[in-house]
Amino acid sequence: MTTPLASKRHTLDSVGDAQEFFHSRGWTDGLPIVPPTAEAVHACLDWAGLSADHLVGIEPVRQRAVTAEKVAINAVMAGCLPMHFPVVVTAVTAMLQEPFLLHGATASTGGCAVLLIVNGPIRHEIGMDPTFNALGPSDRASNCIGRSVRLVLGNLFEARPGQIDRSTFGHPGKISYCVAEDEENTPWLSLATERLGDPHVSAVTALAAMAPRQIMNEWTTEPEQILDTFIAEVKANMRHYSIWPGNYVIVVPPQLREHFDAANWTKADIRNYVFEHAFIKRGEWASVGKGSVVGAKGDRTYHALNAPDDLLVVAAGGPAGGFGAVIPPWLGHKSRAATVAVGACVDC
Amino acid sequence: MTIEILDPTYGEGPSDFAAAPRLATLAGVTVGIISNGKHGTGRFFDAVAHHLQTQYRVQAVERVVKPNYSAPAGDDIMDATKHWHAVIAGIGD
Repeated sequence: MTTPLASKRHTLDSVGDAQEFFHSRGWTDGLPIVPPTAEAVHACLDWAGLSADHLVGIEPVRQRAVTAEKVAINAVMAGCLPMHFPVVVTAVTAMLQEPFLLHGATASTGGCAVLLIVNGPIRHEIGMDPTFNALGPSDRASNCIGRSVRLVLGNLFEARPGQIDRSTFGHPGKISYCVAEDEENTPWLSLATERLGDPHVSAVTALAAMAPRQIMNEWTTEPEQILDTFIAEVKANMRHYSIWPGNYVIVVPPQLREHFDAANWTKADIRNYVFEHAFIKRGEWASVGKGSVVGAKGDRTYHALNAPDDLLVVAAGGPAGGFGAVIPPWLGHKSRAATVAVGACVDC
Repeated sequence: MTIEILDPTYGEGPSDFAAAPRLATLAGVTVGIISNGKHGTGRFFDAVAHHLQTQYRVQAVERVVKPNYSAPAGDDIMDATKHWHAVIAGIGD
């Protein structure tokens, strides 16, 4: 399926010159890139069975058409192998869904990153590791796929610091923020299976997300008590950052999952418990220095979730440690998590 | 040995926007202000509107507020712009 590449070509004297050429134009994230040669880009396109001019999607605000060729160029730059490319295309497709609100999420001073959660058989095919250091630099595929998204945002939408990206701080997830779910070491349904209804699907869920907030509770086996610790962190985020409801993520490691499994708690049970207990009163803002905006609504109750299904429960993490992670949404429900199956053509 | 690489940017694509013709004067025209609706924008745009009318003799200032400050203006606001001679797409925080 080799089709001509439309992108402008640049000829440099060496790989080193190519690095400086890209850096000098602001085309990287500050790290070295793999030079995107036509051969490498064709290899990605061929692996995914996509033509160069395949329309991955259209950015809803500026109506920019995103082609597979441009996504492949940035994926190669990020270090992706051809077998990683279908996941990158799926991630970009998810980000271009209107409810994701890509422009707002990438322009906001709030400084969120795009969190990618990968499910299904493709995790093993490309060597993703959902265990040790799951939210850090765990494996090549996760790092390169997450980085691809950042380069796509910068090079196709100018979401670079100080240009479209107006983040006050941002966070380290803006370099790469990609995790595979540990589907084998749990009886739980995968995130993608729950959201798409297909038990065999490979899929990517994209979420405009803040940095992970780590919790620890190794001193109980009771599901409710474990979740109370997660909920305390959700409530802290509601007081300190944003009170508005949205797609929160909780990442649960094996040591804590054992206790849920022993008690026969499903993800749905977890979602229902968090939905019922994760709320604060507006008046609590006064305890963290925000009393001036409490107004006459101090007794008003604000929930973290509009519905139980707004909580994304993800199994991941190394085998030891009673930790957990709460990943808050960027800005309430203005941006919604988007899940797309690998190989799906949403707008076709 | 040289290396040939591909341009990763959208830069070669069509331009997103075209600038509207510049007005010769603001006197007697209608100016629209599209606020993103963030806390604190009200007083700022009050001052902008006052300045336009007192210093530049703008005839009318019409104010609209986006319901979602992170999303584009909806069709109703875009329809309103058709009656304006100039628009300020205001970002406040």
